[in-house]
Amino acid sequence: MQAASTYSRDRCVTGIHGLDEILRGGIPYGSTVLASGTCGSGKTTLAMEFLVRGALAGEACAHFTATEPSVKLLENIRQYAFFDMNMVDTGLINVFDMDVLYSWLGLDKSTFDLDDVHALIKSITDIVNTIGVTRLVIDSVTTLCYKIKSEQLIRDFLFTLGKKLATLGCTTILISEITSATENAHWSSFGVEEAIADGIVVMGDVERMGHLLRFLQVVKMRGTSHSRAKHAIELTPLGVMLTPMLKWGSQNETAHWGA
Amino acid sequence: MKKKITFDKEDEEFFGQVGSFGVPKFDGEMNGGVPRGFTMVAFTETGSGAELFAKQYVSPAEESENTLYVSTNEGQPEIVRVFKKYGWPLDINVRTIGEEYNSNVLERELLASRYRLEGFRLEDIQRLAQTRFVDENNQDYLTEVTNEIMALGPYFRAAIDSLDFFLQRDDPNRVIAMIRMLQAHTQMYRGLLLISVSVHGLSPSIRQELASIADMVLTFGVRTVGSDFETSMIVSKFRNAPENLKMLVFRVTPEEGITPETVERIA
Repeated sequence: MQAASTYSRDRCVTGIHGLDEILRGGIPYGSTVLASGTCGSGKTTLAMEFLVRGALAGEACAHFTATEPSVKLLENIRQYAFFDMNMVDTGLINVFDMDVLYSWLGLDKSTFDLDDVHALIKSITDIVNTIGVTRLVIDSVTTLCYKIKSEQLIRDFLFTLGKKLATLGCTTILISEITSATENAHWSSFGVEEAIADGIVVMGDVERMGHLLRFLQVVKMRGTSHSRAKHAIELTPLGVMLTPMLKWGSQNETAHWGA
Repeated sequence: MKKKITFDKEDEEFFGQVGSFGVPKFDGEMNGGVPRGFTMVAFTETGSGAELFAKQYVSPAEESENTLYVSTNEGQPEIVRVFKKYGWPLDINVRTIGEEYNSNVLERELLASRYRLEGFRLEDIQRLAQTRFVDENNQDYLTEVTNEIMALGPYFRAAIDSLDFFLQRDDPNRVIAMIRMLQAHTQMYRGLLLISVSVHGLSPSIRQELASIADMVLTFGVRTVGSDFETSMIVSKFRNAPENLKMLVFRVTPEEGITPETVERIA
């Protein structure tokens, strides 16, 4: 009897130390991954390193920043040795300021209606399509969705965006801010992001001997087997480093996802 | 504390108690001209010649640097053409709000709708990726114009043609508040201020407010008489000089611009 051949999806190798091992090779190509975490948990750094590693491999990358002005984001990220400003200057990593994009699209209103949401999706997908972006980060989808008042519209926005980006072969990280979460809580601010995402990566802090240690846990990743264990994150000048938390043991450990 | 303004003796002699409307025959009808410190509101009908009157009114330009013409509908070339045609001074201050609005706001809106409809081109994307700051386009033209007039010194002459632009884009109560400030400034600095506003679409309460603030109220009208148009102005308010209230039919001549018909017409 002939053994059944196992099908393996193409991977987007993140290049982040330890993450590809957790994901058994990387994020399945074209996936939309929700990176949810509390403030200071390393979401932006992780996402930026994901782009830098892609750019170094010759991929076209894009970063949409809604949480902080692009100038501030670039100033903050410059402290990391893995980041090279030339990548932005030469267009390997395209950093888009959402406020500028809103202004260009005439989206000056405090809330977006259906037409505005469609215009936004069209613009993002146009950009991805025109410059052939294969790695995309939206930081954060929470800030972006605050302008969309209806839950149904948020769902449509994220679902349509995710579907179009997947069709274009773009692997996307949607950053989501969670301010108060317990083990039973949602992994997202609006509760709909997690339902449409192909993968969910949760980031937070655990208290250990009076210190807050950052951790990362892959909760879900369609199309691949993966570890579901908590991993400690260290933000080093050379990049994000993930190591299994088990090696420190688990005594007196309290999860801090803002709880 | 009330602000005390001192006027130069020579200026007092030069400017006198009244200023010209820019229309000599109209000055005569109004017993010498418009008293210094007056704010005039002109309610206008389309085609009644009010735009020309506003330009003619600033044409005496006793001090060109202290004279301001604010146009919300016309562009600089059009204004210059009219001033040249009648030989009026070209060295006065002119602010063309309509033109500024077109280039600052309408062009942006047009570009935004193009981006929304047709999407971004590669060069647009490259420019977008390098743009770090939002170009603020929420210019407050009402405050700007108010400040510009408030900055004019004693015996200034200014015209706002017309107020419709502000009433359509700003809160009318805010517009009225600004006009009150301008009226007080005009009175204090013995200036002359003309504000035109279209009667069409103007709410009765705003019209009433404007009429009560103004020291002089003019109404420009146009009607057909047989196969001709007849343009007229009605002076319905002249503070402290009710004898000046009258209705004048006027014509526009290539030499003098607006000229009241002083000959009694036979009906």
